[in-house]
Amino acid sequence: MASDMLSIAASGARAARGALDVTAQNIANASSDGYVRRSLRIEELSASGGAGRNGDISLSGARIAEISRNADPFLQGEVRRTDGDLRRANTELSGLRNIESALEQSGIFTSIVEFEASLQQLAGDPSDPSRRAAALAEATTMASKFQITATGFDSAGDGLRFDADAQVKEANIIGGELARVNLRLTRAGSGSSDRAALLDQRDQLLERLAGFSSVTTSFASDGTVAVSLGSTPARSFVQGGASGVLSSTQAADGTLSFAVDGQATNPGSGSLAGAGLALTTLAATRNRLDALANGLANTVNAGQAAGVGYDGSPGQPLFAGTTAATLRVVLTSGQGIATAPAGSGAGSRDTQNLANLRQALATENPAQQLSSLLFDVSSTVAGRNVTQSALETIASSARVSLEQQSSVNLDTEATNLIRFQQAFQASGRAMQVASDIFDTLLGIGR
Amino acid sequence: MINLSTGAFFERSTQQIGVLRARAETLQQQIGTGDRIERSSDDPVAAARLRMLARSERMATVDTRNSQLAEADLKLADQSLGSIADLVIRARELAVQGTAPTLSDEQRAAIGIEIKGLRENLILLANSRNIAGHALLGGQATGAAYVDDGVTAQFVGTAGVDPLEIGEGQSVVPGLTGPEVFEFETADGPTDIFSVLGNLAAALTTGGGTAMQASSDALASLDAGLAKVTTSQTVIGARLNWVDLMTERRENNAERVAEERADVGGADIAVTMSRLQETLTVLEATQASFVRLANLSLFSMLR
Repeated sequence: MASDMLSIAASGARAARGALDVTAQNIANASSDGYVRRSLRIEELSASGGAGRNGDISLSGARIAEISRNADPFLQGEVRRTDGDLRRANTELSGLRNIESALEQSGIFTSIVEFEASLQQLAGDPSDPSRRAAALAEATTMASKFQITATGFDSAGDGLRFDADAQVKEANIIGGELARVNLRLTRAGSGSSDRAALLDQRDQLLERLAGFSSVTTSFASDGTVAVSLGSTPARSFVQGGASGVLSSTQAADGTLSFAVDGQATNPGSGSLAGAGLALTTLAATRNRLDALANGLANTVNAGQAAGVGYDGSPGQPLFAGTTAATLRVVLTSGQGIATAPAGSGAGSRDTQNLANLRQALATENPAQQLSSLLFDVSSTVAGRNVTQSALETIASSARVSLEQQSSVNLDTEATNLIRFQQAFQASGRAMQVASDIFDTLLGIGR
Repeated sequence: MINLSTGAFFERSTQQIGVLRARAETLQQQIGTGDRIERSSDDPVAAARLRMLARSERMATVDTRNSQLAEADLKLADQSLGSIADLVIRARELAVQGTAPTLSDEQRAAIGIEIKGLRENLILLANSRNIAGHALLGGQATGAAYVDDGVTAQFVGTAGVDPLEIGEGQSVVPGLTGPEVFEFETADGPTDIFSVLGNLAAALTTGGGTAMQASSDALASLDAGLAKVTTSQTVIGARLNWVDLMTERRENNAERVAEERADVGGADIAVTMSRLQETLTVLEATQASFVRLANLSLFSMLR
């Protein structure tokens, strides 16, 4: 007889023990990040009978054939893609929100209106020193508000660049890790629990990398992965056990460009792409604000030059500086505001030059310009808000689909616990029966 | 078989509860501030409109101040013009007395002295100042309007007064210049009230037949002068009316702007409140059902 009931029952008990171990592992990792539910494949062990013994029963019990990961590569790819898009939108949105805050909360619009109002008030009585002082004070406030806004832009840009730098470093670390995981995967036995853990690690690393930049992956049959970063064109980043170096370069206007091993690429999605987009918007917004500050200063200074101050001396420039960051008031006294046209004597109450200046300002309309700048930024933010919430929904449903497919359901595990416990008990029972049979045989003839 | 993972259930639930909480908080903030728009990106178009409304409100306050200034100046000018008219009328009475043939030279000389005094008062009135300390009738000049050397009064102000903006692109000229009040045409050509009075006073003081003649000649000039002064009063009155009208319009406008602000950017308390209530009800229900579902674990059945 080729079969041995005791060893069959023992193999069954071993398989059930293994299954119980896997179930306990699943339960323990029910809320672990990136853990994919393991399941056990148990297969029958049997041998075909040898020559002349075709009728024999030849059974050897069961064995654990494979510990498999229930991961769907398509769903995982979807999670990487949608998560990259979401991170791009998040980073861009938070950058844009900072730009919006810098522009709106500095109160620059109000200060421009106040400056205009102070000039209008000065027209009521140009000989009033307090009205002159008020106009000069409003000009000073406005200039410092421009500076505050420029500083706000600086720190928004610095924050984005700092984050991007840190992310580039992290992406390089992840690249190195992926290469190491690739090497270990080539050595791990197929169907082993070690391999399943490595695959978990690989997928987690890929997901983190996809959060920074778009990734293109190709999986080999042994589970190793080749990764290309970015889009148009994608550059090879991890190949087998070797990984490249991602780098970022800052242009003069503060925008970032990226390269893998020195070859330029565009991140496409992920937070690096978001930072790139936000920095581009920041540079454009900054240019417009600088142009506005410059235009305002030129208009006021030209108006000043055309008239004379209260003491009859030719009007001196009120502002200096050509950008928002450098705009400042250089006129020392309100008496220097050129309200009267050239040729008027000292103490003239003629407001013709002030009227011309106000007319020129009304044509330049810095308040309206700033309002449209703010409108453009805020409507971009509003638009991106909608995009972001759409992407959030998409990304979260992709993640939920993956989790539903691949992560642990405690009810199923509880069922498995009972099932395999019963299997274990049944195998134990079979062993007892085998022992009883043996006893019966020994007892014959007593 | 669809595997309903425990992790996915918890993630979904926290997400739903988080979204509801965020919505409730936004509504609460709207009620707390009374504004629907916290930052421009909440509603860019409305925010841009609100900015422009705030700007026009700010400009309207300056317009109001300038308009009050113009009104004060015009009222002061009106008062001095009234006094000037009284003086000219008194001078005319004296001139009529001067034409009487029964008067002695001494009496005429006395009338002449009074007219001289009237002329000096007239110069003082012509130089009267507004609140800011500038001559009311001096145009844009900062000092006096007239300098008198006893014979001729020289106008030292500027030829015109710059109009002052009082809102909605409208403006008002907040005063008159001396020549507009005191200079007029007679049969003998252009003259002003000061030289008419000066000449009359001189002629009356001198006495004799020319004094009587001068008095009757002066009557026509004084009539013309009075007409000029009363015309100026009418002009000032019309401008005061204009300022009043514009003040009323500004007030209406301010009301309209405030209304639009509330329409565009204000949170409707009733609507917001009921939305908040609705959100809170849903939130409570979600929380309650979450707790019940989370307790439904097979492990609690295993004994």
